[in-house]
Amino acid sequence: MAPRKPREREMLFDSVIALVFILVACVDLCDGATVVDVYRLIQYDMSGVPFGSRLASLNHHAASLHFSPHADLSRTVLLIPLRELNMSFVKEYIAESKPLGGLIFLLPRMFSFENKDGMGSNHQDESKEPLKNVLDELEKILIHANLPYPVYFAFEDDNIDAVLTDIKKNDVTGQPATATTGGYKFVVSATEPKKVVSPPITNIQGWLAGLKTDDDAHQLPTIAIVASYDTFGAAPALSVGSDSNGSGIVALLEVARLFSLLYSNPKTRGQYNLLFGLTSGGPYNYNGTHKWLRSFDQRLRESIDYAICLDSIGSWENELWIHVSKPPENAFIKKIHEDFSSVAEELGFKVNLKHKKINISNPRVAWEHEQFSRLRVTAATLSELSTAPEFLEKTGGLVDGRHFVNEAAIVRSVKLIAESLARHIYGHQGKNIQIFADNSNLAVNPSYVRSWLDVLSQTPRVAPFFSKSDPFVMALKKELEDHTDDVNLHRDVLDGIVTFYDSTSTKLNIYQVASVTFDLLLLLVLGSYLIVLFSFLVITTRGLDDLISLFRRPPSRKVKTA
Amino acid sequence: MTVFHFFNCAILTFGPHAVYYSATPLSEYDTLGTSIKAAVVYLATALVKLICLATFLKVSESDSFDPYQEFLKALIGFIDVAGLYFALTQLTHRNISQNHKFQAVGLGWAFADSVLHRLAPLWVGARGLEFTWDYILQGLEANANLVLSISLAALGSLMWLRKNKPKTLIPIIYLSAGIVATMPSITSYLRRGLGWHFPKVVGFELFTSLVMAFISWQLFSVCQRPSV
Repeated sequence: MAPRKPREREMLFDSVIALVFILVACVDLCDGATVVDVYRLIQYDMSGVPFGSRLASLNHHAASLHFSPHADLSRTVLLIPLRELNMSFVKEYIAESKPLGGLIFLLPRMFSFENKDGMGSNHQDESKEPLKNVLDELEKILIHANLPYPVYFAFEDDNIDAVLTDIKKNDVTGQPATATTGGYKFVVSATEPKKVVSPPITNIQGWLAGLKTDDDAHQLPTIAIVASYDTFGAAPALSVGSDSNGSGIVALLEVARLFSLLYSNPKTRGQYNLLFGLTSGGPYNYNGTHKWLRSFDQRLRESIDYAICLDSIGSWENELWIHVSKPPENAFIKKIHEDFSSVAEELGFKVNLKHKKINISNPRVAWEHEQFSRLRVTAATLSELSTAPEFLEKTGGLVDGRHFVNEAAIVRSVKLIAESLARHIYGHQGKNIQIFADNSNLAVNPSYVRSWLDVLSQTPRVAPFFSKSDPFVMALKKELEDHTDDVNLHRDVLDGIVTFYDSTSTKLNIYQVASVTFDLLLLLVLGSYLIVLFSFLVITTRGLDDLISLFRRPPSRKVKTA
Repeated sequence: MTVFHFFNCAILTFGPHAVYYSATPLSEYDTLGTSIKAAVVYLATALVKLICLATFLKVSESDSFDPYQEFLKALIGFIDVAGLYFALTQLTHRNISQNHKFQAVGLGWAFADSVLHRLAPLWVGARGLEFTWDYILQGLEANANLVLSISLAALGSLMWLRKNKPKTLIPIIYLSAGIVATMPSITSYLRRGLGWHFPKVVGFELFTSLVMAFISWQLFSVCQRPSV
């Protein structure tokens, strides 16, 4: 008996030590919670019909596209990178209204306006175009769908890419994240989205007065240069609209700057007034333009010789389009087209004319100039688009970012517009005079174009989410004040075609949670550990006989009763 | 983490103390009072340590290992030894043998330490959503701490309560007591000086505590033989 006990004790010690080291080796520390910025799919009603993402708060486990075909996803968030997106999958789930806990789309960093890398590079990367097309199609589907679960966009970074890799690994091994198996849980704490009541729209108007001779009793004619500045996109917090219509805004500001130089000197001041308009409500049938024009007094409206509207002129190469509503045979239209065509020919590209008749009964306003034409003002839209976009399309959404805009194209557009206007104002038709020649005092300033384009490419501009005194609107006003006289803000509210809801961006918390199964197993392990500990302590302090006697008492009691 | 997980971690942290009390003869000799008194002495010692740390130690902005500050911290850590001396020699105990006295004191000491250092983080962690292994590792650390506390109490009992211990073992007893008493400083050095991660530190603590427990047990057994 005596020599056996020390050996038993030593063996027990060794086994305990071995168990401890095995347990320590299995321990693998994981990272804490990850926080990611997410941008919510827009939520809006159109004539009372709901569209977009109808929920904001999120509290579900995460899965990837590698989920089992028979898995129930009604309490699961799908994390889908754009690079792996299968469009038929999205169409299938949306068309068949399959239940989902949520959707999170991971966008490449090239679509982020906070991405500083490659900001100066305007080269068209070959991998950009397919991703751009996929995102464009995805945006159209999401905007026109009614999704009863939260949908968010996020950008790729190291943290969320690591989480996605883990999720894929779990899904492939048939261990999707659920309450019983643990995994990653995505949590967005957000309140119920509220309607944006009476969304404000603000039009900014600048005026350059023409030279008036003493013997002329008539009102001077006016030329209007107009551009819409707000956007609409799948994610309002990401809708910067560099091309549509950031390029138009930049061009208008540069034209205003050039003509302010000319008009500041009485010798070079033209006999035309110049009216510059930065309008809101562009994506919604140019509602802001409509209200702005209605606020004109009749004399001003009648004095407008013509209006030129700028729309998406930042990513063209060889040709631009002038869209008109009056017949091409019209004398005014013909003159405008001749002016622009001759200047374009000298600059080495082509300007085409496109006529589209206005259907008065159709509420759809495809181009901004149509709002002028409905009031019988001669107007045209200069654009790189050959056909009119559909409602809420090409309005500066996710794909319209800084990477896809060429500032050289904007510079050429500015030159075309300024030179054409100058020929009309100063009557230089037929003469080969370039007022805005390169390397002259009146040259187009590429730095000015670039810096304003950068500002616009970092400013989401969906109208209902602008405040009345938004700093961006104030910045536009101040810039116009630097170049023109009589700058006015014309404030109104958006008409009730579209109703918007708030909550456009928030933070997503990613937790790695343990499963109930894990805790049950842990409880089992702990119970075993305590039992082993109890037995070990009893044996070492009282002896083996006492441990055995603990289980022998009941039989002895039975004997006594018998 | 869920309430269930909190429950699991609490079992791992405080369960061994209860198991030790009920499994050993401590429960038969009415040593609960001694354990409670030892716990009170521990709290007083912790308060004194806190005051000394606040008075003599400067707060370092960086998390680097400062040898002088760590040495000072080790010196302040010896207040624990003084507290243990007080608990072992000054508390009145009725009819408790030395064998059970040091175990009761060590158990009370370790329990108070776990309550003071681990109950609050455990409770706060239960509200979080994130799963982390930290609380399980804390529970394992509590186990190691229990073993170390009883080892230190055993060695203290040998040093201060046993008169006729063999002379050849006295240096070994003092050396072992010194190692056990400086264990907090050793783990602090491993964590901050060598940059060890928490799992590795806990593994080291468990291993070391078992080794010291074995040595203390052997020393205690050897010292008991002449009286038999």
